[in-house]
Amino acid sequence: MNFKMSTEQENMLHDISVVDFVTVEMAEYLDTHPMDREAIEYFNHYMRMKNQMMRDYAGKYGPLSLSVADNSCKEWKWALQPMPWEGGC
Amino acid sequence: MWNYEKRLQYPVKITQPNAKLAQVIITQFGGPDGELSASMRYLSQRYTMPFNVAGLLTDIGTEELAHMEIISAIVYQLTKDLSMDEIEAYGFDKYYVDHTLALWPQSASGIPFNSCFFQSKGDAITDLTEDMAADGAML
Amino acid sequence: MQDYNFNEYFDRFPLAMAYVPWQHLTQIYEDLDKAFCTGTIFPELTKPFTGRRCVK
Repeated sequence: MNFKMSTEQENMLHDISVVDFVTVEMAEYLDTHPMDREAIEYFNHYMRMKNQMMRDYAGKYGPLSLSVADNSCKEWKWALQPMPWEGGC
Repeated sequence: MWNYEKRLQYPVKITQPNAKLAQVIITQFGGPDGELSASMRYLSQRYTMPFNVAGLLTDIGTEELAHMEIISAIVYQLTKDLSMDEIEAYGFDKYYVDHTLALWPQSASGIPFNSCFFQSKGDAITDLTEDMAADGAML
Repeated sequence: MQDYNFNEYFDRFPLAMAYVPWQHLTQIYEDLDKAFCTGTIFPELTKPFTGRRCVK
C-alpha cells in the first residue's frame, strides 16, 4: 500500500518529529539531572508545543496517538491511519 | 506499559530497492549491536539498576524500540515488491527461501537474533560498561 | 539530595572502576532541524562516526 502526503502534511509531521526529539533528549537528560530547572523549562516548553501540534495534526489528518483521537464521529480514525513504515512518514 | 505513536521517529522514504544493502542493514535490526539487542539489553538490565538509572534505562530502551522501527522500515522498503529475478540478482535468495520478504531479526551474516548478544549481570558498573561496548560501538 | 558535583572529583575514586564525567546543561542547538539530523540536541554530545575514538 502506497500513499502520498501533501507538502503541508509532510511539514507538520516533520515539525512534530523535531519537537518530539527535543522532548525525548531533554527527558533523558532530566532522568539523571532531575533538579535542573532550566532543563525542566525546556522540556515543558517543547512538550506543550508537541501536544498542540499533535492535536492540530489529528484535526487535519487523523490521530498519530490514541490520546488525541477524536472518536465523536462514526469512523475509528486510528485504524485508518497509514502504517508509518510505508514511506509516508 | 507502553504507548504507540503511529509515526517513525525519523522518516524513511526509499525510492530505489536494494536487497544487497538490506542484507547489510538488517544487522542493525537483529544483529549483536542492533536495535532489538539494544532495547532488550536496557529493558532487561533496568530492574537491578539504582533508582534514577533504572528510569534512564527505561527511557533509553524505549527509544531503542523506536530506532528498531526505523531500521525495520529501511529493510522493508529496500526489499519491497522485488521480483524473483531481482531477488536472485541481489543474492537475497537464501534469506527469501526462509522468510520471503518478511522481516526476521538476524545479523548480516545470517546469525539469528539471540539474547547471548547482550549481558544482564545485576551490577550497575558492569552493565553500563556492557552498554557502552554495544551502543557506543558506533560512537 | 545527591551532590552531582561529587562525581567530578576523580582522584577520590577507587582504581579499576569505570567513570563517566557529569554532563552539565550549557545550551541546546539553536537550529533544531540540524539537531534532529545530527541525532542530539546537545552540542557537547555530538560525536560523528570516525571508525574509532581518540580522533578529533
